[in-house]
Amino acid sequence: MEAISGSLALIGYGLAAIGPGVGIGIIAGNAVQAMARQPEAAGMVRTTMFLGIAFTEALALIGFVLFFLA
Amino acid sequence: MDQLILASGECDLSTSSVCAPEDVRELFEFRQIIFEIGGFPITRTVVLIFLVALLAMALMFFGLRKRSVLPGRFQAAIEGLMGFVRDEVAVGIIGPEGIRFFPYLMALFIFIFIGNIFEVTPFINFPITSRMAIPLFLALLTWVIFITVGFKRNGFSYLTGIIWPPGVPTFLKPLVGIIEFFSIFFVRPFSLAVRLFANLVAGHVMLSLLLLTGYVSLVTIFDIGVVKGLFGFAWWALALAIYMFELIVILLQAYIFTLLSAVYIETSMHVEH
Repeated sequence: MEAISGSLALIGYGLAAIGPGVGIGIIAGNAVQAMARQPEAAGMVRTTMFLGIAFTEALALIGFVLFFLA
Repeated sequence: MDQLILASGECDLSTSSVCAPEDVRELFEFRQIIFEIGGFPITRTVVLIFLVALLAMALMFFGLRKRSVLPGRFQAAIEGLMGFVRDEVAVGIIGPEGIRFFPYLMALFIFIFIGNIFEVTPFINFPITSRMAIPLFLALLTWVIFITVGFKRNGFSYLTGIIWPPGVPTFLKPLVGIIEFFSIFFVRPFSLAVRLFANLVAGHVMLSLLLLTGYVSLVTIFDIGVVKGLFGFAWWALALAIYMFELIVILLQAYIFTLLSAVYIETSMHVEH
């Protein structure tokens, strides 16, 4: 069997991106639902959505940095 | 072509077909010193920073110079941008006192936006925010401001108020305190800086790779065969689509950085006890 080569850090980054990916999907999906149900609250929902995405994204960003450091 | 290679150090195209950086740490270093002023090396990035600052100042100066009641197209655009940052971000997030932070937030927005848009500007092709020092400095500025505001407004109870949200049971206080302290004073500025940096690096690398792949396919068209070589145009078409996508990212990242700065200031101002 041929040896698999490459950087383990890359796999680590891929793993770190799973959770935030799912989380951002949930946030955006629920935001779309909220906007469809109450279009007049769209502005507030959008701001809150960006905030939620930003906080969720932090984990993927930490993975991104560790990928460079490793 | 030189423009694309500049970002990845020197290499000889006759020996290798693609120029890649030897080490990813190149992203955090400053190379290609153009000239020196009193021992301070001036690189291409530094020149671009001053260009961004000049452009931002020129935009605001010429946009608001006349202040006519019936604004022209340019003045209306600048006023619309300022109105958006003031109403949606400064006052919308922080509240009526947020107007004090409007100049800072506006400067932040316009600096990051112009710095980002250099990514898709022909002949520059380099977002200055993809060098870690610049987003890090901007994030530290926000960090200093929100800590100063917090202590000024709430005194020492700012620290206890922000790491222990109301309603935390006493036996959980040590754990929650450590997590919140770490998250507020370290992860916040860090993620603020890295978010901008990572998005711009990813976009820049993606565009460089697609354009270079297309270029290499076309210049080596007789070595690799005409059919394969003509795929270079397909790579360029894909790069064009990514350009459109990057335009959205550029605007969104500038907005998110400004928005989060405002949110961090707001949470420091109104600490619940």
